[in-house]
Amino acid sequence: MTGEAGRRVAVTGLGAVSSLGTGVRSFTEAIRAGRSGIAEIQSFDTTGFPYTMAGGIRDFEPESLLARLRVAEWGRSSLLAAAAARLAVQDAGIDPDYLAAASAGSVMGTTGGEAALVDELTGTWVTEGMKNLDRAQVRKVPADRVGAAVNLELELSGEALTIATACAASNYALGYGYDMVRTGEAEFMISGGADSIARWAHAGFYRIGALAESVCRPFDADRSGTLIAEGGVALFLETLDGAVARGARIYAEVLGYGVNCDARHPVAPDPVSIADCIKTAHRNAGVSPEDIDYICAHGTGTPANDATEISAVRAVFGDRLPPISSIKSMIGHTLGAASGFGALICCMALHEGFLPPTANLVQVDPALGPGVDCVPGTSRPAAPRIVENHGFAFGGNNAITILGRAV
Amino acid sequence: MSTTVVAPLAITGCGVVSPAGVGLDALAGWLRGSAEPAQRGAADLDAPDSDPIAGDFPPMPLAAIPGLRVTDYLGKKGIRSLDRTTRLALVACYQALAGMGTPLTDEDRDRTGVVIGTSTGSIRSTSELCRDTYVQEKPYMVRVDQFPASVMNCCASQIAIKNSLHGVNATMAGGRASGLAAIRYARNAIARGHADHVLAGAVEELCPQSAWAWYRSGALTAGAAVGEGAAVFIIEKPEGAAAGGRVPVAELLGCETAIAGTGMRRALARCAERALERSGIPADAVTTVSLGATGLRGLEAAEEDAVRAALGKLPTIQLRPSALLGESFSATAALQIAAVLAAWRTDSAAMGPVALVTSIGHDNDVGCLVLRQPGYNQKPGHDQKG
Repeated sequence: MTGEAGRRVAVTGLGAVSSLGTGVRSFTEAIRAGRSGIAEIQSFDTTGFPYTMAGGIRDFEPESLLARLRVAEWGRSSLLAAAAARLAVQDAGIDPDYLAAASAGSVMGTTGGEAALVDELTGTWVTEGMKNLDRAQVRKVPADRVGAAVNLELELSGEALTIATACAASNYALGYGYDMVRTGEAEFMISGGADSIARWAHAGFYRIGALAESVCRPFDADRSGTLIAEGGVALFLETLDGAVARGARIYAEVLGYGVNCDARHPVAPDPVSIADCIKTAHRNAGVSPEDIDYICAHGTGTPANDATEISAVRAVFGDRLPPISSIKSMIGHTLGAASGFGALICCMALHEGFLPPTANLVQVDPALGPGVDCVPGTSRPAAPRIVENHGFAFGGNNAITILGRAV
Repeated sequence: MSTTVVAPLAITGCGVVSPAGVGLDALAGWLRGSAEPAQRGAADLDAPDSDPIAGDFPPMPLAAIPGLRVTDYLGKKGIRSLDRTTRLALVACYQALAGMGTPLTDEDRDRTGVVIGTSTGSIRSTSELCRDTYVQEKPYMVRVDQFPASVMNCCASQIAIKNSLHGVNATMAGGRASGLAAIRYARNAIARGHADHVLAGAVEELCPQSAWAWYRSGALTAGAAVGEGAAVFIIEKPEGAAAGGRVPVAELLGCETAIAGTGMRRALARCAERALERSGIPADAVTTVSLGATGLRGLEAAEEDAVRAALGKLPTIQLRPSALLGESFSATAALQIAAVLAAWRTDSAAMGPVALVTSIGHDNDVGCLVLRQPGYNQKPGHDQKG
């Protein structure tokens, strides 16, 4: 598909609801300063859990962000998705009525869907039995509502696709949204993702040994795991020509993406397959390894992920590794939203001219080999032209997007 | 919305498991009316000839796949820890792959993707894992091997692992239209060169969690059963099918979905009109409709009204698989497609050349797919327009 004619696709609006603030400005400012959004879990009772830290959002007020959705009818992930989408549209400076009348849709990624509702309903099962499941609650559970919430909030007339490809889902969503605009299937797409902190996911990550006690230190010699987190993120996509014509601020251009599947192990990642995915993404975007100025890593902070990821990058880039950092060091692992937050910070890095940092880094793990620049501490001024955004998932689902500075 | 006519894709393999049994022929038999609607009581769910479905079910009709022993299809290796959602989809994939005229080569498998629709994954797996956090001595004492299964993409990734399929692997949460979401995603993946073949479909397992949810929701009409099933279709470009010596069983044409804030009827009618326009098919060429909302309070009539609005009338042949198979949420649209293929298989002439698959759900979702019998567009008088 390289060289195939298609419309160029621009990112012109960004929306974020995160533990590091609401709106792309406050989120970016916090990331650049290397601040942490990690705190004691408040969304469920942590009694009995050895580890109790996560990237929860303490100040999410859906009522103040949403114009149309009736908050009581929706789960937290759907509300996060809709709020991020609303913010992205506001940021894009496009008239909501014009958007509603246009050919526009959404594609959102999620790992757990309304996972926190499953917590609540299971609580009812345990204490009162399934015959007492709350009628209003059960109707809110299906994950397709994450995408539906975006379309209903913004009155979009096109499709609302919810991609549930776990922790690579937002990159899948960005790739699909890019294709829809590129091919003319839609004029505008909102791509992003959302997830909420759930008790069962926290337990599961702890049990498989993937959780850190309190600090997520990607690429560090002493890294011990990740921290689960939540958030909603959205990117507003339109044609580059259209964006220029309406005088929009253009954060970045989506250049292409690659997706593949290890098809080997339900949990353990595979460096050969990830390297293949990077190469495919480069080919589809029409770029070479030497063009890549920065990699926004999947970077979960588990010993296995980071070693596998660097090994895969090394297989593609050889001795010249681009700077590679993980924003999970600050916001934790927002699961289905993670690669969406990665894409968002990539857009800001291209637009404002910086490299996002890896916080909490004391010593880069020597076992990762030489030449690993994780941009430690705080952001670094730079002028990246083309960047690469990683998203990997359980099940060996890999998705990599390539973004370029708007020129 | 784009109004260009889409390039047809070929379905070259199909696997289905439903309360009618395993395979298209069993489904065709039911559709011909040779069986009573599925209404098995909870007591039958652990019949000795089948994989049991444990748990306490609500007092309502249930429709389980009869006589299904997945080891008959999948062997015993690596099956024990898989939940029913994954097992049902694996059996459907096994059938779809085994039924292909020319099997996929290893090279093909590197370029074969999997796109599976499910709106909750196995809600039993997730709920049981979550239950352990409440009832075990320590809240973190969940089963390690159950954690990946509690995440929605488990099923699609297991299909890839068991069949060595390295292409794009995606999971679509699309409510009752999940099968249509999977087809839309698959179409784009093939058109954009991310895969040459895609196994696309959808799955829903019968379990106490979802049955009680339906019971409590009040969303089903009296007497409607909660069912289960999986249907998977092998999709590729017609030229790829021809080169591989595979004979298409159907052509996939327009497939449109949308979310409607108000006016679900009008939204579905518009969706159907768009799907036909993008298929280059006039409304009066539609001979069959496969309806999905049978048994859904408030939506059953809306769906039929919308089809009337889009086509001028209901087509002569109406398939209502949910009336026989029960409400199978995420698997619904995929089973509606399978019903069309099953009916074509037994009586292609009477069924006519073009079928519409419609979907409408409580999550404000509408969708419509146009299916055509292979070769129809070559017949005189029915040239594709547009």
